[in-house]
Amino acid sequence: MERFQEFVAIAPWTMIFTWVNLLILVLVMKKLLFKPVMNMFAQREQEVGSMYEKAETAQKNAEEMESEYTEKLSAAKEEASRIMKDATHEATLRGEQIVSEAQQKASAIVTKAQKEIEREKEAAVKEIKEDIASIAVDIAGKVIEKDLTAKDHERLLEEFIESSGEEK
Amino acid sequence: MNVRGPKILFEIPVLGGIPITETILNGWIVVAVVTIFCFILGRNLSTRNPSKRQMLAEKAVTMLRDLVKTTMGEHNLFFLPYVGALFSYSILSSMMGIFGLRAPTGDINTTVAFALIAFFLIQFYGIKNNGLGGWLKGFIEPVPFMLPLNLVGELANPISMAFRHFGNIASGIVITILIYGALAGLSRIVLGWIPVIGSIPFLQVGIPAFLSLYFDLFSSFLQAYIISMLTMVYVGNANEAPSVSE
Repeated sequence: MERFQEFVAIAPWTMIFTWVNLLILVLVMKKLLFKPVMNMFAQREQEVGSMYEKAETAQKNAEEMESEYTEKLSAAKEEASRIMKDATHEATLRGEQIVSEAQQKASAIVTKAQKEIEREKEAAVKEIKEDIASIAVDIAGKVIEKDLTAKDHERLLEEFIESSGEEK
Repeated sequence: MNVRGPKILFEIPVLGGIPITETILNGWIVVAVVTIFCFILGRNLSTRNPSKRQMLAEKAVTMLRDLVKTTMGEHNLFFLPYVGALFSYSILSSMMGIFGLRAPTGDINTTVAFALIAFFLIQFYGIKNNGLGGWLKGFIEPVPFMLPLNLVGELANPISMAFRHFGNIASGIVITILIYGALAGLSRIVLGWIPVIGSIPFLQVGIPAFLSLYFDLFSSFLQAYIISMLTMVYVGNANEAPSVSE
């Protein structure tokens, strides 16, 4: 036989079961749905946060590296220009030195040559003097064929030498 | 044609007999269904590239959380699982009519149980936040003369909540029964003269489906939304945010 409750009637057990069902649902929803989803949200937030942090760090690093490289590059350029300048300067100095050395050498050679010439000339003059003297004596003796006193002879010779030495 | 309460399926012979009615059995079905849904939705969640299933879970949780947050305030967010349970229990119970089962919410005891929880929560927070004296004093404010009106007002809330929900769903059940009866009668009149076919109530096919659309889907959602919303508003009012002057 089928039995029915009244359409509107208080049935305490139905209420109690409803409460129990609701309690079970609260626990089920909390454990199986809300908690996992909320945890996932929190985790996602954390992950996103850490990603942002990483990105920021990477950007900072990149900027630092960039400025470092720029600095290094400009330093290198400076160094290069400094080296170039030094080299040019040195080369100029060296060139000048070489030229001055060459000039010195040349002038030394010239001086030496002049000295040599002078000496040679003196020697030649001396030799010529001697020759001329003897020749003059001979010529004079032969041409005049006259006895000159020894005194005259000597005086004449002196005069001749002096005059020919001054003339050169 | 009989308009009756839930069928008593059997009786557990303890404590003077515990009647297990359709309401109770169908309530268990709802619990089972919700549990399965929650289990499917809540597992294998990943923080990246959520699947469609996960997106649904996220959307549901976010929507419900935002609703609780805006209605009850941030400090009442711990009510989230209860509101979720209440809403799902209510809507799935009401929708059972689609499958020809008797809706647990079409039983006054179910909706009274819902309303009593809200009622006790309101009183609990009234005492907790105002002290027993303050809570009692609230009934004779602004003048002691108002005591009876205040009492009636306080009791009217759960009663109206319970009866609104019950009335809507139960009337759906009643109207569906009436419509079926009427359609059977109409069938007999229109098609009754045809020998064999006349004994089959053909007009019962199709037309109730449109009514079911309203009573089982729209009304179910609406009533579930209303009872959840009212519970949130009443309990939220009773447990307002702690003053900011900390």
